[in-house]
Amino acid sequence: MISYAYYPGCVAQESGKELDNATKFVAKKLDIDLIPMPEASCCGGGVIDGFDKNLKLFINGRTLALAEKEGLDILTICNTCTLTLSEVNEELINNRESLDKTNEYLAQIGLKYSGKVKIKHLLYAIRDDIGFDNLKKKAVKSLKGINIAPFYGCHILRPSSVVKFDDVENPQGFEELIKALGGEPVSYVRRTKCCGFQTILVNEATSTSLAGNAIFEAQEKGADVMVTPCPLCHLSLDTYQTVAARSINKKLSLPIAHLPQLIGIALGGDYASMGFSRHNVSLRPVMAKIRQNEI
Amino acid sequence: MEFKVRAYRFNPEIDDKPYYKEYAVQDFPGMTVLNALMKIKSEIDGTLSFRRSCRSAICGSCAMKINGISKLACKTQVNPEITKFGIINVEPLANMPVVRDLIVEQESFFDKIKEVRPYLLGQRDDEEHYKFHALKEGEKIIQPVYYKSEFQNLTGNNDTPNCILCECCYSECGGVVGNKNYLGPAALAKLYRYSEDPRDNDRNGSRLVNGSKPDGMWDCVHCQACEEFCPKGISPVKGIVKMHEKAIKNSINFSSGAKHIISIAKSIGETGRLDEVKVAFDTGGITGLINDLPMAFGAGLKGKIPPHQA
Repeated sequence: MISYAYYPGCVAQESGKELDNATKFVAKKLDIDLIPMPEASCCGGGVIDGFDKNLKLFINGRTLALAEKEGLDILTICNTCTLTLSEVNEELINNRESLDKTNEYLAQIGLKYSGKVKIKHLLYAIRDDIGFDNLKKKAVKSLKGINIAPFYGCHILRPSSVVKFDDVENPQGFEELIKALGGEPVSYVRRTKCCGFQTILVNEATSTSLAGNAIFEAQEKGADVMVTPCPLCHLSLDTYQTVAARSINKKLSLPIAHLPQLIGIALGGDYASMGFSRHNVSLRPVMAKIRQNEI
Repeated sequence: MEFKVRAYRFNPEIDDKPYYKEYAVQDFPGMTVLNALMKIKSEIDGTLSFRRSCRSAICGSCAMKINGISKLACKTQVNPEITKFGIINVEPLANMPVVRDLIVEQESFFDKIKEVRPYLLGQRDDEEHYKFHALKEGEKIIQPVYYKSEFQNLTGNNDTPNCILCECCYSECGGVVGNKNYLGPAALAKLYRYSEDPRDNDRNGSRLVNGSKPDGMWDCVHCQACEEFCPKGISPVKGIVKMHEKAIKNSINFSSGAKHIISIAKSIGETGRLDEVKVAFDTGGITGLINDLPMAFGAGLKGKIPPHQA
């Protein structure tokens, strides 16, 4: 059994609870021990350095120190948390001044960070620590014939100087996972583009047109479902899908699943245990297609 | 080795719509994509049009999409591209109208550069000797120039002055894809470069005020593409974030983008968490809330909005 300090992020604990539940389901099936971090705070949503750079260092330095105290690496299920924690980790490892400043602050709350923690997103933790072959062995349901559009999002790939999981120009990790589960990865240009979430409350038209165009392209390429490793992308793509359709003036109706939900289905999860009822666009047609594989 | 170049072709004077044409090219050691295009133009098809000049990654003319990513053709070697993609697919930059083949109309890009006033404003009062005057006997000309290292030390800004205006960032920018009026990374990097310059005489903070207007620095979607794909290693997004911090610290917080970040910081300060509903309300106010009501109602029905917050 492999253990991680589990950092679900804020969205997976509030509006995206189904993601948290699906992750726990998958972890149990794959013998991953998720050690909760109840004391960890928000990472700052990828924009907190626009308020105060030190605040970003301190709140994330604290999260890293909490994991280091337990001797664990951090497992994330949100792209933006992954990038923010990785950025701070890089800075603390490579910049002595930032590390000293952060440790001065951490000393006040009885913590210290020395730079030993690694940040892993679930997608790449499964690839690197569990292995897609093992995942394949544990799958009880095949996703054969299901056209799955992987939507990477930004912060799991860029900047590649900080998040070094995959080839930024032509990532394949997501596609390999889909193939391991028997599914057909849909090839489309916008799989690595932006969902627009970061400005959804600031400039909704910009944001939703980005999400809308990605959904439309995947839909045109015959996708049955789009899958994303990030709950922020999920909000843009699923919760705002009706707004996105209006903003690009196209008809959109593509179910959007969280990555652990897709894996969960292959590992024996069902509509209810994956929390699909919480989605805006129904996943029933996809589930019906998956059920046909069993007959 | 022989490899294939698949080029986007479009001449609005004779073509109804764009099409792709393939060329077989023989490589040589160290061949760049620009070498390949020049070989095609001189030996196979003289009608293929593209911009190029210095061949040394400093003029920024030959930026184009190579296998889907905006790059300088003169800085991109054929071999690794073929290894990864099996072909050299060349297309014009995105976010700008095509003039012909790989050439795009650059007017909108340069209009936005001009909009941020990419020059020093006025003259500093405390630097008398910099003012224009007739030289006295024996007086030497002192130019108001900083050496690069001095500029870096003074501003912590070591990359944005290296911009070659190649438009790679503009072509990859998610913000421009979603909003054609958005200033874009190159113009905002210029704005950052001048807002940090100690010689600039922007007494009333007009640079950051203007940059905070709609279509300005708060419309950045943080997709990190500008940093990732800049051929000169510049990070416009980091400059944009530094301007956000400077604007908020100087109370230039009238934009919804600034309110959004302040609200996130406040929420973390109070609860350690990001309170999605509260942040949405603080950012958009009553109008934003009313606009989003149908979506929020739907999300509420699905249990997405926690009952204690609804």
